[in-house]
Amino acid sequence: MSPARARAAASGPRRPRPRADAPGEADTLAFLAELSRALAVSVDLRRTLAEAITRVAAFMRVEAASLFLLDASGEALECRVCVGPVDIAGVRVGLGEGIVGRAVAANEAQVVADAGRDARVWRAVDDATGFVTRSLACAPLATAAGPIGAIEIVNRRDGVPFTDADARLLGLIAAPAALAINNARLAGELVEQQRLRRELDLARQLQASLLPRPRPAPFPVAGVHRPAYETSGDFYDFFDCADGRIGFVVGDVSGKGLDAALLMTRAASLLRWAGKDGLAPAAWLARANEELCRTVSDGRFVCALVGYCDRAAARVRFAGAGFPPVLVRHGGTLVEHAAGGPPLGIVADAAFEEHDVELAGGALYAFSDGAVDVRDAQGRRLGAAGLRTLIARHAAAAPQARLQALLADLERLRLVDDTTLLLVEAPAAAPRVLLDVHVRAQPAELRPLRAAVRRALDALGVGPDLRERLVLAVDEACANVIRHGYGEAGEGDIGLRILLDGTLLGFELTDAAPGVDPARVRPKPLGECRCGGFGVALIDEVMDDWRIDPLPGGQGNRLMLRKRIGATDDGRKDGA
Amino acid sequence: MNANAGTNGVASEMGEGYVLVRLSGEVDLSWSQAVRRAVLDALDAGPAVAVDLSAVSYIDSSGIAALVEGFQNARARGQRFALVAVSDAVRAVLELARLDRVFLLVPTPDAMIAA
Repeated sequence: MSPARARAAASGPRRPRPRADAPGEADTLAFLAELSRALAVSVDLRRTLAEAITRVAAFMRVEAASLFLLDASGEALECRVCVGPVDIAGVRVGLGEGIVGRAVAANEAQVVADAGRDARVWRAVDDATGFVTRSLACAPLATAAGPIGAIEIVNRRDGVPFTDADARLLGLIAAPAALAINNARLAGELVEQQRLRRELDLARQLQASLLPRPRPAPFPVAGVHRPAYETSGDFYDFFDCADGRIGFVVGDVSGKGLDAALLMTRAASLLRWAGKDGLAPAAWLARANEELCRTVSDGRFVCALVGYCDRAAARVRFAGAGFPPVLVRHGGTLVEHAAGGPPLGIVADAAFEEHDVELAGGALYAFSDGAVDVRDAQGRRLGAAGLRTLIARHAAAAPQARLQALLADLERLRLVDDTTLLLVEAPAAAPRVLLDVHVRAQPAELRPLRAAVRRALDALGVGPDLRERLVLAVDEACANVIRHGYGEAGEGDIGLRILLDGTLLGFELTDAAPGVDPARVRPKPLGECRCGGFGVALIDEVMDDWRIDPLPGGQGNRLMLRKRIGATDDGRKDGA
Repeated sequence: MNANAGTNGVASEMGEGYVLVRLSGEVDLSWSQAVRRAVLDALDAGPAVAVDLSAVSYIDSSGIAALVEGFQNARARGQRFALVAVSDAVRAVLELARLDRVFLLVPTPDAMIAA
């Protein structure tokens, strides 16, 4: 409706009486300022609405006032708050219907001087309650993005019909109200976003807490997991059974996001519960399947691989439910074992196929779908073949480091799904500790320390030439800790451990000196006639490799010197 | 080699036209400064210095550094400087540091004079 028609509609059959009590300009400005101020501090939408409508009704001296907001569909308006004899909160009108609907549809104030004669007026409320609407005015709540609702006022208390002036005044009041409502909505959305973020954080922490910690060596099972998004549908687990075996689980819940994450937490605890009893893998899956079929109804399902191994990982028994084939590596060959059986949560009486694999020094790799789904730069799936290449590439690394390296390679490609890797492998024997001593970082301690190192190496059957070279390298390292680590006035300890891992000798020095920047420890060339500074070069010369790392926390360093030695008495004893 | 046998010691004596510095035991960070001082003092005391290392069962880089400093000072002043009767233990470290061809290694102090 055009302003001209609005004015025409405003002129009723009766001439309005002059208004003795109409608000003056000063009053109006004061009210607007007051209203703006009151609304500006409110970020709670419900309170903002109530505050606005109460003040408007009082200022305009009307019998009833109501505030309508567009609903989420944008097609209908709902009365969110009202004052007056009839409670119409919750009443809905379509966009374009009645005076309110028209005001919003046209983004223009509406005035009805004589409601009884105006076909535009929506009479359902009057009919239902006996309230008589004589005259009404309505102004849209306009924002930069269009109207979000409207304020309607009904029946001046002095009985005079509303005029254009009233509509303009209402329009003025609607402006700050619209702004405040919009702000409150934005604030509400922000609060909601923060709440969601907090809940996602909690969900992620909860999920991470469900994953088992890596066990210290020797232990035959290791796993890694990387969610593609904040929460994950993947999980893995391993645990000790009463009979000494290790149970393990890898799972992958269909779908992504929070509801997949919730099902994951349930499936994880369910599979652990079902496995703790030591049921055979197929029966284990069957039990979890029955339970999931009873409780999962929204078409979701769970792919899983479950199994047991002995502590030496000589033999693995496992069964799969919709899970990708596992790969078993023996020496240089990789054999695929398709783990049959449907995913869990679909068919209640499904049967699962059991596998019994002699590992005998080999390794079993289980990958969730995400690993196979990884895409290269050209968008091609890595697939089982690509995975085999990666496994072969990292076969020499220690278990946990190997899984991390595989995961890093997969991430360098592109993870499009949650990815989980589980490894079952005979645990390497823990390194034998040949010496474990702590001495004060004083030059006088070096001689007895050298004697202790000599004794340890003699006991191992290391020849005298090599022994003396190793003693020299360890001595030089200790001297550096004393001179450069702790410095002139410094006091502290040096810890020295000698470890034998197969035929690899490790000399591990720890100190509590300030953290050393590994990049600054560099050997100077030998053979030059310099007065000192060639200790590091001597270490370089004697050892196969060495590395220095600051200890966590910024204080202290760990220096590891390594030397591969030939067969020793010890090695022969171990059959190496 | 019995590593624990030798006690650490440094002693100097005048020879025929040289100062002989006798070292024994394990030369390491705990007393290599004393070795350095003894070598430098010997250079002040005579025209040539011989350092007897026959009784040294161990030497670290700080001990080698003291010998290198003596060698360099002697050369700067035109004095003779030699390592005498180097033990296997010391020779191994000199070889490791690629300094075995830098020093003059002689069996006796007289050999230094003759050289």
